[in-house]
Amino acid sequence: MLSFTIKSFFQKLLTLFFISIISFLVVYLAPGKPSQIDPLNPKFTPDDLIRFQKEFNLDKPLHIQYYLYYKNLFTGQLKSWKDNQPVIGKIHERFLNSLWLFVVGTVITWCLSFPVGISAAIKRGSVFDRSTAFLSYVMISVPGFFFAYILIIFVVKTFDIPVIGMQTFGMSGADAFYRVMDRIWHLVLPSVLGALGGIALLSRYVRAQMLEVIHQDYIRTAKAKGLSGDVVYYKHGFRNALLPFVTMFGMILPGLIGGSVITESIFAWPGMGRMGYEAILARDYPIILTLNFMVAVLVLIGTFISDLLYMVVDPRIRL
Amino acid sequence: MAIKKILILLPVIIFAVLLQSFYWVPTYDEQVKGNPHRLEEFISASTGDAKILNPILHADASSGSITDQVFDGLIDRDEDLRFRGRLAESWEIYEEAYFYVNPEAAAAGRNTSRPEIIKDFILKQQKSNKSDTLLGRTLNNINKIEIIPAVNGETEIQAAGPDTNKDGFPDPVNIKVKYKAPPQLKITLKEVDQGFFDVMESVLGKGYFKSFPSGDLIEILTPGHDDMKADIAGEVLPATEHNPVIVFHLRKGVKFHDGQEFDSGDVGFTYEAIMNPRNLSPRVSDYEPVKRFEPVDKYTVKVVYKRLYSPAFGTWGMGILPEHLLNSEALNKEAKSKGEDPAKFTLRDSDFNRRPVGTGPFVFREWKSDQYIVLDRNEEYWEGAPNYKSYTFRIVPDPLTQEMEFYGGAIDSYGAEPHQVKRLKSDPKYQNFSGLSFGYTYIGYNMRRELFKDRRVRKALGMAVDTDKIIRYVMYNEAERITGPFVKQTDYYDKSIEPLPYDPDGALKLLNDAGWKKNSEGWLEKDGKRFAFTLITNSGNDLRKSILTIAQDSWKKIGIDVKTDLVEWSVFIGKHVNTANFDALILGWSMGIDPDLYQIWHSSQTNENQLNFVGFKNKEADDLIVKIRQEYDYDRQVQYCHQLHRIISDEQPYTFLYVGKWTAVLDKKIVILERTPAGEEKIKKITPTKTGSYTFYFNKWIKLAGNPRFDAE
Repeated sequence: MLSFTIKSFFQKLLTLFFISIISFLVVYLAPGKPSQIDPLNPKFTPDDLIRFQKEFNLDKPLHIQYYLYYKNLFTGQLKSWKDNQPVIGKIHERFLNSLWLFVVGTVITWCLSFPVGISAAIKRGSVFDRSTAFLSYVMISVPGFFFAYILIIFVVKTFDIPVIGMQTFGMSGADAFYRVMDRIWHLVLPSVLGALGGIALLSRYVRAQMLEVIHQDYIRTAKAKGLSGDVVYYKHGFRNALLPFVTMFGMILPGLIGGSVITESIFAWPGMGRMGYEAILARDYPIILTLNFMVAVLVLIGTFISDLLYMVVDPRIRL
Repeated sequence: MAIKKILILLPVIIFAVLLQSFYWVPTYDEQVKGNPHRLEEFISASTGDAKILNPILHADASSGSITDQVFDGLIDRDEDLRFRGRLAESWEIYEEAYFYVNPEAAAAGRNTSRPEIIKDFILKQQKSNKSDTLLGRTLNNINKIEIIPAVNGETEIQAAGPDTNKDGFPDPVNIKVKYKAPPQLKITLKEVDQGFFDVMESVLGKGYFKSFPSGDLIEILTPGHDDMKADIAGEVLPATEHNPVIVFHLRKGVKFHDGQEFDSGDVGFTYEAIMNPRNLSPRVSDYEPVKRFEPVDKYTVKVVYKRLYSPAFGTWGMGILPEHLLNSEALNKEAKSKGEDPAKFTLRDSDFNRRPVGTGPFVFREWKSDQYIVLDRNEEYWEGAPNYKSYTFRIVPDPLTQEMEFYGGAIDSYGAEPHQVKRLKSDPKYQNFSGLSFGYTYIGYNMRRELFKDRRVRKALGMAVDTDKIIRYVMYNEAERITGPFVKQTDYYDKSIEPLPYDPDGALKLLNDAGWKKNSEGWLEKDGKRFAFTLITNSGNDLRKSILTIAQDSWKKIGIDVKTDLVEWSVFIGKHVNTANFDALILGWSMGIDPDLYQIWHSSQTNENQLNFVGFKNKEADDLIVKIRQEYDYDRQVQYCHQLHRIISDEQPYTFLYVGKWTAVLDKKIVILERTPAGEEKIKKITPTKTGSYTFYFNKWIKLAGNPRFDAE
């Protein structure tokens, strides 16, 4: 176990190194140049362009740029080209904003998907099964921003209540209690929207897994022993159906960054996804690269956790 | 079963917590009713956050709209787009003209190299000639003549070298030069006169300036540059020099938001901060023509320019920075307190850019990234405090969300698109505005290509496209025709020039005259070659895409074989526009008010990476373009612009299509409130100025509790 952990750690480190090179190249070789200079603005001269490129090290060979970039990242000196703010500070602030949305959305998704999926599997072909299937496909196939708009218009027109942003604008003078409640209210729409999409997808997987398990011999045995339905499905069946979801659980971590670009934009939520998206539009390489790097780290951590969980869930697996 | 219970209960509890919060949140109505201050707050929405709140560093519109409220420039433009004083109360513009005494030329018939004689000669001429002729006016414009003695010295200049760097620009080289300058005459003129030396030549003798032997008076010390001797000589010892001078008289008693008084030191500091290469200001090229900046006294500054360049005056609309917060001492202190290396710490790194201090009508309060920026009114603003107590800039990235917030009353103004304004046009709760933008859309023809060399062909292509229909069906009438390269609502634009008529038959006739005849298949043909070309534009712009199709179809109807292509923006600019590798393209210019067209239309700007990518070359136009940027007299400038406008409109290097309109909606309860000195309050409806700016009187806006009733005017 320990030797696996160590070996895996070094493997992941090596992978991370290659990812860092590739993500660096992808960003730098993509068309469009970073610059605060619009090539079609008559006010700017080529000299201005050269000055900016020098300042941002863009005139140096690629490998030097690569070195300088990661050196600055690890020493905490990396600054956004957009506003000269330290990248780490910016990301930290956004991370805390996104975290709430992510946690609430994920908890709801991962809790509700299992009962829904399992019930659908048990009562295969019933009205419940068919209606959840229908709703799931609606949620999966209709783009999220559409629901977001409908929900916003519905809530604003019916309840006359603000839903945009992280808090009601101009509430800063109110009591702490009201401010907290206000914040919670603003979480409702975006997190529920995110969770609905997640449940739609995940409950389908749960149902499929469960269907496979239900017909196994040990389920019949358990039933024959006279155990109640819930114990049979949630104790004996659930454990065995859980295996693929351990892998998926590891993969939700990167969703923290890229999972909610559209929701964050529509709800004016100052989160990480939106920052990344705007950085790409502005060709703000330090932000893009740092986010890329963080996603890579999160993916690797996620798979690492999955590997460990595997051993816990299924003792037959000896890595 | 425990697991099942947890899996269901946990989300139910979360839902309960989330939903109960609904009861604690105020509705929009309560926000306004329970908060009388809401009427004194102005909240505008923007899709993008500001980047850097420093007037000399920002390059984006969001930052610009905030810095405009926090900072004041020396000047700005009034309702008619003419200049008016802000931090400068008044100004004078005059000229210092220099020329070297020409040792070889016969001045006024006498071969003299003594400057005193020339000076006396000119003064005598001035005294004897008081007539209202060009010569008389020119001589009477002379205020003072001074003599600068001969001097020998050494200098180093930077010139474009033979090698080019990887971006295709020449690498600069430094060249050392030794020179022997003869005595020089400095003539102070009452008014800037770009034709001064032309007239003086008739006084001093023909060829007096042209025959100045500057090449013999210099010696190039850096080896290998003798081929550039004439250019270098012209730069080190120019025979004549125009130095326009602007003197600003600053407003007294204006205070920065922190209480420090504003004076000439701040103006000088702002200028130096822009020119400091470490600050990477995108405005360097605006101030490059400045020769020297002199603070004369606490409330007077003098700016001397290297050459005639009238657009330079407008650059003093730049917001003025407070020296005491940003000088090297203050920056060093900030760097130390942040634990950074003071040697590497520049204005760009300072926290000032996130909490600016200026002299403007609003004082910065708070900036929450990607959420909002709040400003409070400046109670001590020199022009009187604004009516609104605070100005908030909210960042709402999505246009539909902005609209919902506007309905809810959580924002007062947003970048409403035409279709959004249309929805509210008949609603009595709102007032709406529209006006012309500063920019136009055009079809440009690459005049280097044989096909487009003939003026008749370009004109015919323009006549074949029904622009009025484009305006009606593509722009929903939110646009107007434009006939030339100037901003339509300025005086520079000649309104008497008629747009090209839509006349396909006339177009065909013009093409026939140019030698293009229809062949048996119905295509136009000349010397056995079919009239065929490719029209391109960038992808991602639906308006241009529609125009592309309309133009293609219109031209096909008269027998021209047009292919079209949509290209991704960076490829479009890099591979087609910058390298002039295209037949015809659809593109738009956004413009400033200034009539300087050098970069877009001068024949020297037709190389790679330059903006005259259609390759327009016209001697007459070149002369006018240079004259316009050298002219300081408004009326004469307008006159030159009209001439240039007509030439460009006759030549049709572009088919000028339309200038778009901006649109805006406001609550009807927002009005202009003026207070008479007696304390009486008078409300007025907000009306756009002549030039189409509805926010011009923003500082006098206020929101009333009920619908306003206006007195008959």
